[in-house]
Amino acid sequence: MQIASVYIRGKSHLMFGLCILFTAVILGLLGMVSGYLISLGYKSVDLALFTQLPVPAGAAGFPGGLQNGIVGSIIMIAMASLIGIPIGMLAGIYLAEYSSRSWLAGPVRFIADVQTGVPSIVVGILGYELLVVPLGSYNGWAGAAALAFIMIPLVARTTEEMLLLVPRGYREASVALGATKARTILRVVVPAAFGSVITGIMLAIARVAGETAPLLFTALGSRFLESNPSRPFPSLTVQIYHAAMEPYKEESRKAWAGILVLLALIFVLNVTVRLTMRASGYGARAAR
Amino acid sequence: MVKTEHPTAERGHARANREAPQPGTSLPPIQPVLRSLNPDIAPGRNGQNPVHLPTTTPTEQSPQGPAIHAELAAEQHVLSTEDFKLHYGKHRALHGITMQIPAGKVTALIGPSGCGKSTLLRSFNRLNDLIENVRVEGRIRFQGQDIHDRKVDVIRLRKKMGMVFQKSNPFPMSILENVVYALRIGGERRRRVLDEVCEKSLRSAALWDEVKDRLHTSALGMSGGQQQRLCIARAIAAEPEVLLMDEPCSALDPIATGKVEELIYALRGKYTVVIVTHNMQQAARVSDYTAFMYMGRLVEYGPTNSIFVNPHLKETESYVTGRFG
Repeated sequence: MQIASVYIRGKSHLMFGLCILFTAVILGLLGMVSGYLISLGYKSVDLALFTQLPVPAGAAGFPGGLQNGIVGSIIMIAMASLIGIPIGMLAGIYLAEYSSRSWLAGPVRFIADVQTGVPSIVVGILGYELLVVPLGSYNGWAGAAALAFIMIPLVARTTEEMLLLVPRGYREASVALGATKARTILRVVVPAAFGSVITGIMLAIARVAGETAPLLFTALGSRFLESNPSRPFPSLTVQIYHAAMEPYKEESRKAWAGILVLLALIFVLNVTVRLTMRASGYGARAAR
Repeated sequence: MVKTEHPTAERGHARANREAPQPGTSLPPIQPVLRSLNPDIAPGRNGQNPVHLPTTTPTEQSPQGPAIHAELAAEQHVLSTEDFKLHYGKHRALHGITMQIPAGKVTALIGPSGCGKSTLLRSFNRLNDLIENVRVEGRIRFQGQDIHDRKVDVIRLRKKMGMVFQKSNPFPMSILENVVYALRIGGERRRRVLDEVCEKSLRSAALWDEVKDRLHTSALGMSGGQQQRLCIARAIAAEPEVLLMDEPCSALDPIATGKVEELIYALRGKYTVVIVTHNMQQAARVSDYTAFMYMGRLVEYGPTNSIFVNPHLKETESYVTGRFG
């Protein structure tokens, strides 16, 4: 018995050690990537990055900043979210709550899964064909639509998964009190899953915030601060891409700084949303 | 949604007889006892006694009539079932239940797991509509109205029947919002009314003193017993006429159970309570009438005292004394 017990304890220690090791590996990789980014980028992050437009090589003030890209990205991601989140959430609610007796659910779920795996450049070409060619010019609408197209299946599937995790007891209790199905979903099911649905939405936003390829074919990019989405629209990622392609050292330093800004923007958005949720009581719900 | 059939009486009986197990084949153990029905159980007393009458030739006859005690005939009924059958897909869970629930009393449904108690309870407010492939036959009447009738608004039906579940299921909202949920969905917005109903319901559920200082905190922070009493308060707040309780104490400790039982006891007269329970002592303590069910059939139904002290059927006696089930 003594030997067996030592053996079992040894095995337990070994498994525990392996778990720690691999967690450390993952965290280490994350730390390396962000450490590398910060070490390369932090020196170039200055006020000018946020306040100046890009300046071409040879002109006075070269290389300028990324102001138009930062603003453009925020606007375009906001537009994409306004289109993508409602559609995605409603589709997710349909899949989770209404589809059980419908022939439509299987195909919708399958298409959403395939859509998640479509290379983003394909989405860009689709946007080009559908919204750039007919409108006659590259434009911000097409860029936002392409990003929304990427968001919708992500939001739909996470919403579905999270709603299915809500205990059936909630639905039964609500229906037994005389609530209609729609009211049950709106007042009980969705609020109960809201915290985790928000997490899914944040992941979807982070995903599209980093997209470049679909924007190259749709919004194209612009060197000016743009507020009219009917014209070619600037974005941070496309500007990072162009800056990184330039042979000048200043341009590549600006690219590193841009990546750091992008990461910081997503981080700030995440923290803000989470704090807001906690303040409004959703954090406590999500934790349970 | 659920397919509902309304066969004529003849059709219903013919089917019941066709599907009844033949004597001598794979009969469940309870059948031989049922065959020698107690002579006390005469059918047709006052035309009220809902004994399931065998209507066909002796060869087809299935002695499935339940033992219904005479006292029930004297009661006023609020709910009744007539040869009610329920199928989950191909599996038949209820084999023609005919019983009447007396108004203003506490009726306990007892029986071993899987005997159909909960299914029957959930049929009263048509909660089984939520489950796919459920098909029902026969009738359930609430205040004389067939609840499966097309004209019946199931939402209004459910508002008249509060339900308390086995697992306490407060919504992830504040205690106040939980209690007034039924009013909210009814469109009530007046703060004063909501507060009043909340206090009244929580007092009825003997919970007010414990939670009055934290009405606006999450209901999920309460203890299990408090959560279950909150669910009762939530059901009462809708001012139902019938309270359906599905093993309301099975997840509670003895002290919380005691509180909920006192509450059920206090609710009699005001509400008609139907309670499903696995706990025989609980049935004996809180109920006026007890129905013993077995394998989807009603076996014996009568005043709680008779069922536990002087049951008419041997099978009931075996169950209530703990010899089987």
